[in-house]
Amino acid sequence: MTTREMTGRVMLGLLMSLTATAPAAAWSYKEAAKPYAGQSITVLDEITPLQETMKTLVPDFVKETGIKVDYQLLNHFEVISKGQADMLSGRGAYDAVMVHSPQMGIVLQADVIRPIDDLLANKTLTNPELDLKDVIQPAWDSVAKFRGKTYGLLDWNYNVVYWARNDVLSHPDEKAAFKKRYNYDLAPAKTLQQMRDIAEFFTRKKGEKLGGETLESDFYGVVLEGIKGGTTFWTLWNAFIKNFGGDIFDRDGKPTIDRPENVAGVKLWAELWKFAPPGQAEYSLIDVPTVMGNGIAAQTLAWSDFVLGIDQPGKSKYAGKFVYAGSPANAKSPRTRSAETEPSIIVISKQSKRAEPTYLFLQWMVDKTTQKRFFETSKGAGVPIRESTWKQPELQQSRFAGLYEAMRDTLAHGRAKPKAPKIFEIMDVMSGIVQEIALGKKTAEQGLKEGQEKVMAICSKCTL
Amino acid sequence: MYLVSRRDGAGDEAGWFPYVLMAPALITLVVVALVPFLYTAYLSLHEMQYARVGNWAGFANYARLLTNARFWHSVGISAAFIAVAVPLEFGLGLLGALVLNQGVRCRSIIVPVLFVPSMMAPIVVAILWKIMLAGSWGLLSYNLLERFGILTGLSIFASPALALLALILIDVWQWTPFVMLALFAGLQSLPLMPYRAAAVDGATPLQTFRRLTLPLLAPLMAVIVLLRLIDAFKIFDTIFLLTAGGPGQATESLSLFTYKTVFDFWDLGTATATAVVIWVMFFLFSNAFYQVVKRKLRAF
Amino acid sequence: MPMSVRERAARRRQLLFTLLAAAGALAVVFPVLWMALMMFKPEAVMFARPPVWRFPPTLEHFDYVIEHGFVWNLLASLFVAVASTVLVVVVGTPAAYAFARFPIRRRDDLLLFVLATRMAPPVALVIPFYLIYARVGLLDTYVGLVVAYLSFNLSFYVWVLWSFCRELPVELEEAARADGYPRAHVLVRVVLPLLRPGIIATAVLCFIFAWNEFLYAFLLGGKTIETLPVAVPKLITSQGVKWGELSIVGIVALMPVLVVVFLLQRHIVRGLTMGAVKG
Repeated sequence: MTTREMTGRVMLGLLMSLTATAPAAAWSYKEAAKPYAGQSITVLDEITPLQETMKTLVPDFVKETGIKVDYQLLNHFEVISKGQADMLSGRGAYDAVMVHSPQMGIVLQADVIRPIDDLLANKTLTNPELDLKDVIQPAWDSVAKFRGKTYGLLDWNYNVVYWARNDVLSHPDEKAAFKKRYNYDLAPAKTLQQMRDIAEFFTRKKGEKLGGETLESDFYGVVLEGIKGGTTFWTLWNAFIKNFGGDIFDRDGKPTIDRPENVAGVKLWAELWKFAPPGQAEYSLIDVPTVMGNGIAAQTLAWSDFVLGIDQPGKSKYAGKFVYAGSPANAKSPRTRSAETEPSIIVISKQSKRAEPTYLFLQWMVDKTTQKRFFETSKGAGVPIRESTWKQPELQQSRFAGLYEAMRDTLAHGRAKPKAPKIFEIMDVMSGIVQEIALGKKTAEQGLKEGQEKVMAICSKCTL
Repeated sequence: MYLVSRRDGAGDEAGWFPYVLMAPALITLVVVALVPFLYTAYLSLHEMQYARVGNWAGFANYARLLTNARFWHSVGISAAFIAVAVPLEFGLGLLGALVLNQGVRCRSIIVPVLFVPSMMAPIVVAILWKIMLAGSWGLLSYNLLERFGILTGLSIFASPALALLALILIDVWQWTPFVMLALFAGLQSLPLMPYRAAAVDGATPLQTFRRLTLPLLAPLMAVIVLLRLIDAFKIFDTIFLLTAGGPGQATESLSLFTYKTVFDFWDLGTATATAVVIWVMFFLFSNAFYQVVKRKLRAF
Repeated sequence: MPMSVRERAARRRQLLFTLLAAAGALAVVFPVLWMALMMFKPEAVMFARPPVWRFPPTLEHFDYVIEHGFVWNLLASLFVAVASTVLVVVVGTPAAYAFARFPIRRRDDLLLFVLATRMAPPVALVIPFYLIYARVGLLDTYVGLVVAYLSFNLSFYVWVLWSFCRELPVELEEAARADGYPRAHVLVRVVLPLLRPGIIATAVLCFIFAWNEFLYAFLLGGKTIETLPVAVPKLITSQGVKWGELSIVGIVALMPVLVVVFLLQRHIVRGLTMGAVKG
C-alpha cells in the first residue's frame, strides 16, 4: 500500500468513526410514527373528568404523529361490558381497551391481550426518556405484570383516601369532650380503631349540638359504601380485612374466607354501620362523596378522584372544610397496613393489527411531558401515576396539597386485585353476605363461613 | 243471543290467500327470532370459554344450572313478583278502562296523561323512583313518610321485604296504564248492536258487564294478561338500577341473575342454558294457558 | 228544556268519574311533574331538605345536554323506533287478520310459535345476538337494531291485533264477499278501516317499546347508533349524578310519545255521539 492510500484509509476510518459517535437524531414521536402515519386506531377508556382532560390533549398527538386516534370514553359499567365483549368475542373493534385490575384474570385466561415487552424493548418505538422507574409502585407491577410479561402501562391510579370534616374535628369544644371520653387527642384518624371512636363520638341526633351549633337533622360519624356490588366489598377487603392480617385467598389461591383475621376485620367494618346513615346499604361509590358533600357525616373512605369534584366551591356547602389522610392502618397490626386502590391499564387487544401505533399512543399518554401537561391543564386535579408528579408546582401549591399527601400515603400501601378469573363471581357472593352481616342479619362468623363454602364451590384454586 | 258470531268467516275456499298473508311475518320471525334462539340453544350444548365455543357438552350446562340454588331462587323472586304485580295491574287497569269508557270529560287530556308512566323508558322510571324513594334523601321517603314517622331509620331499597314490594309497586305504577289503554281500546272497539239490544231488553249494568262485556273482551284480556306475565317475568332495567338484585339477593330476579351470569361472570354456558330453560317453561305455560282459555272461556 | 232526573244523575256520574280520573291522573303523574321541575333547578337546591318549590330557574342543564350531543340520540331513537314500527305494522297486520279469519292448519301451534319468540329473557339472548351480528357485520348499524327490535315487537303486534281482529263482526266482510269482491279488496277496503283503532293502539305500543328499549340498543349499538336510553348512563358520572340533565333526557324522551298518543287517540276513541259502550 502506498503512503497515500494508507492516509486515505486512515482518514476514511477516522471520518467513519466520527460519524458513528456523532449524536444520532433525537428520538421523537414524529420519527417513530413515520411508518404508521395516516393509520387510525381506536382506544376505549373510562370516562371521568380525568379522561376528559386527557381527551383535550389527544389532538396534539394526532398532529405530531399523523396517527388518527379515536379516543372513546364510556362509563364504568359500559367500559367493562362493552370492552370485554369486544375482546372476548373476537370482534376487535377496539385496538386498546382500558381494564381495571380485577378484569385482568378474565382477559389473561381468555388470552385476548397482547404483552408489550417486545414493544418496550424496541428502541425505535420507545421513548428513551420514558423513565419507567418513575412510575408509581407497587401499583404498576401489581396490575400489569404476570408471569414475567408486561401487559400495559399504568394509565390511571385510582385510590381511596380517608376524608373527614375538618371544621368539626378541630372544634375546641369537640376536642375537649373527645379527650375526656377517649383519652387521646381528636385528630384525623390514623388507625381504624380511631376511626371507630370518632364515628361513635360524632353520631348525633337532630337537636344535639355539633361544633357549637344545634343540628337541624341527624348527623352521622361515618359513611361508607354499602350497596351490593360496586366497590363495597373491595374496600372492605383491602381497607379492613387485610389490615388485620387476613385475606380472601392464600398464597396458592385457595379461598380462606373464614379466617379469624377476616372475621375481626369484618366485625370492625360492620360495627361502623351503627354510626352511619340508614340509607348506607344503597350507597354506591358515587353516593358516598355526595353524602359527604351534603354535610351529614363526619368521616369516610372515598375515591380521591371523586373528592376532587365535590370539594369545590359551588359543589358543596362545606368545600374547603375537609381534611384528608391516607387510608388508616390497624393499631393492632401496623405492619399489615393495606389500602384500597384501583390501578388501571390500557391493554392492547390481540385482535389489533395496529399494535405499534397503538403502543405509541399509549406510551405518549404516560410519558413525562404529557403527564406534566395533563396536570398543568387540569390545574393539579388528577391521580398521579409518576412519582415525579408529586413535586409539580400545580400539586404542591394546590389547595388540595393535603389530599395529594393522602393519596401518596394510600398508594404506598395499595396493590392491584389478584388475577382471578372468577373474581367477579366471588365478589358478588361475598358482597351480598357482608351486606347481610352489616345489617345484622348474620354474625360475622356465620357469614364468612357461608362465604367460604360458596366461594370454594366457585373455585378451589382461584388465582392464575 | 246478543253475542256476535266470532267464528272464522270465509270458508274453506280461501286456498293460499291466508298463507300469503302470514308468510312475511312468519319468515321474518324465523330469521330474526328463531335463528338467534337456535344459536343460543346450540351454544348451550357446548362448553363455553368466554365467548369461544368449546367442546360438545351435552346437557352439562343444564345440569349445572338446574342444580344452582341461586337460579331457582331468582325464579322464585320473579314468580312472586308477577303473582302480585300482574293481578294488580290487571284489576286496576280494567277498572280504569271502565271508568274511562263512561264518557269522562276531557278524556283527550286525561288519557295521555294517565298513560305517561307506560310511555317512559324503564331506565328513566328507575331513576325517577330513586329520586322518590331513596333512603335519607328521597322525596317521598324522606320528606313525606319519615315526617309522619313511617319508615324512619329505614331505607326502602336496603330492606329485603320492602325492596321487593317497592319494585312491585313501581311496576304497577308503570304498567297499569298500558293495560288500561289496551282494554280501553278494546272496549271502544266493541260492536254496539248487542248493547243496544241489551238496553232494550232492560239489562242492568252489572248484567251487561258480566254477560256481554266480559265475554266479548275475553280474548283481549287473555292476551294482555299473558303478555304482561311474560314481560313482568323478564323485568330488568328498574331492578338493575334501583337495587342491583340486593339487598343480599332479595330482589335478584331471573333477569338479574342472567345479567350477572353474562356480564360479570362471562359464563355463557349457564346463560344460554337459562335462556332455553326459561323459554321452555314459558312455552309450556303459554300452551296450557292458551288451551284453558280456549276451552273454558272460548276466547281463542 | 230542563234536564230530566235521569239526565242529571247521568251528568253527575259523569262529573264524578271525570274528577276521579283526573285525580288519578294527577297522582300517577306527580313524580313525573317533580322530575320536570328538576330540569330547571340549580344544583344547589336540587335535593334541598325540605324540598324547594320556588327557586331561581336555570337553563344550565339544557346547555349541557345540547353541548353533549343528546339531540343526535333523540334522532337515532326516532329513526329506529319509527322504522321498526312501520315494518311491524306492514308485516304483522295481514298475519293477524289471517289468524283471525281463516281456518289455518296448525293455527294454534303457529300462534304459539309467534308468541314464543318473545319468551326468552332478552338478557340471555343479547350476547348470542352480539356474536351473530359481529359475524355478519350488523353491529352498530341501523339495520341491525331495527331487525333486533322486530324480534320481539312483531310477535306482540300480531298477538294483540289478532284479538282485535276477532272482535270485528264478520257480517260486513261476508256481505262484501257475497257481492263478489276479491279477498284482498275486502281486506283493504272493509277490514282495515274497522281495524284502525286497534292498529294504531298496538302500533303506538310497539313504538314505545322500541323507543324505550335499553339492553339491545346498548350492546348492539355503538358510536354510530346511540339511542336516548343508552345515553342516560352517561349522566351517571363519577362526579355524581347529573339529575337536572337526566330529568331533561327523561322528559324529552317522553315528549314524542306523548305527542303521538295525544294526536292519535282520536282514532282510538269512538266519538261520544256514536254511543259509548256501556259496561
